[in-house]
Amino acid sequence: MKKDEAIASETVEALEARTPFRFPREMLVGLLGLAAAWQILSLFVPPFIVPGWERIGKSLLTLPLDFVLITLARVAVALVVSFALGLGLAMMMYASTAAERYGRPLVRLLMAVPVVCWILFAVLWFKWVEFRIAFVLVVVCAPVFLVDILDAMRGVSRDLRDMLRSFRPTRAQVFTKLVLPATLPAMLTSWKINLSLAIRVVTIAELVGAVTGIGYGLVVAQELFSVAEVFAWTLILVVLLFAAEAVLTRVEERLLRWRV
Amino acid sequence: MAGVKGPGTIEVTGLRKVFHQTGTGEPVVALDRLDFTVAQGDMVAIVGQTGCGKSTFLNILIGLDRPTEGRVTVGGRTPYDDFDDFRGSLAAVFQQDRLLPWRTAIDNVRLPLELLGHQPDEQLLRARAWLERLGLARFERAYPHELSGGMRQRVALARAFVIEPTLLLADEAFGHLDEVTAAALRQTFVELAKTEGNTAILVTHQLEEAIDMGGRVLVFGRPGRLLADIDVRAWPATTVAGLRAEIQRMLQDNTGDARFTPPAKERA
Repeated sequence: MKKDEAIASETVEALEARTPFRFPREMLVGLLGLAAAWQILSLFVPPFIVPGWERIGKSLLTLPLDFVLITLARVAVALVVSFALGLGLAMMMYASTAAERYGRPLVRLLMAVPVVCWILFAVLWFKWVEFRIAFVLVVVCAPVFLVDILDAMRGVSRDLRDMLRSFRPTRAQVFTKLVLPATLPAMLTSWKINLSLAIRVVTIAELVGAVTGIGYGLVVAQELFSVAEVFAWTLILVVLLFAAEAVLTRVEERLLRWRV
Repeated sequence: MAGVKGPGTIEVTGLRKVFHQTGTGEPVVALDRLDFTVAQGDMVAIVGQTGCGKSTFLNILIGLDRPTEGRVTVGGRTPYDDFDDFRGSLAAVFQQDRLLPWRTAIDNVRLPLELLGHQPDEQLLRARAWLERLGLARFERAYPHELSGGMRQRVALARAFVIEPTLLLADEAFGHLDEVTAAALRQTFVELAKTEGNTAILVTHQLEEAIDMGGRVLVFGRPGRLLADIDVRAWPATTVAGLRAEIQRMLQDNTGDARFTPPAKERA
């Protein structure tokens, strides 16, 4: 017993001593290397093809940054709606085999439709631009949430399920005490996947009809043939994605600290 | 072996369980007409080789599976049909600890109390008391992956005992641990079950473990039938080695021995 305790005590101390944040040196070196290569390339290639960092920087200062907030708000709202919808439907399909049998093929069908088609449908079906964008994002992201969550629910260990059942829980308790916590890692992974998907899709959706947002900014930059501005918007998109992923990773580390 | 009747009395009558193989549909007999009774507060070890239906029997007793024929009752109620009636009166310890990995040791122990709707303060108080009793007071905030196998199994024991069940079941609960840890945990299990007055059933494939429990030993043969019903307490300590050899022989031959298996009505 003492040996056990000694081993576990060491483990606990080691985990407590674990550094919570690790400086991403390799990533930073890689990005700086790429930036340097870009700058060198810009010295030999005309600026309307590869603009240097000073041009991109100048463009960054002139961009309407409220467009960034608008795009972010669209993504955030659409992801929350998609998650709620995906989770709700996953719970329904989990509870009813018939619902899953009928629902699964429909979800697969939705996932097989290309994003461009959804954008065209949105333009044809809806008049209000914000609704068009939200529709495209939700119809693309909600099925991903649904499938990821449902698969994770179906994958909950039978051993744990039997253990819990031996204590005679209610159906609601099985959900709240076992199924939902066991599904949390898959939910967070799904958020990460959908976040990058949504940021890419929203830009395309904003190309059609919107008069605000990064997608619209890109259209304007293209019409003005301002390559530096296109790069500046792209840079913002990439930084946004990195930042959002970093936030999600921190959330994941916090919520899943129980994992080995 | 007549005993006290009470909420923890187990009565097994003509119990039969047949599974059907996936694909072929061929029937496989897992339990074949079991008849025995376990008195309230008794301690019984079920021993048998792999595939003799021990775990199937335990699943039926927990209420996770239903008999094909016959009947199992605990305190007059059937665990499968009267599933919810057993809330708070039945607890099981499994082969693997089956702790919820996202919960700390104390949160795992308080889980059944949460399910039963106890107040949070009471949950913590009782869970903490049991962890302390099992020597894990310092580790209440540790997650399962931070604990050794023996410690995790002790948390699982605490989780089972915390609801003060009438019926306590253990399915190969100590078999995967090293010998020293297993012996210590087994002793803890027996002592706690005796102190708390639980009816306790320990399923094992290890003969030593079954005899060491020091209670009744039910020897299961293949397919799922009772070869012998032995009260180890009736055997003088000097003859236990001989008893072990007899049981070993029965298991190998898969046949019972009239000396150990009294008629059904006497057993009841």
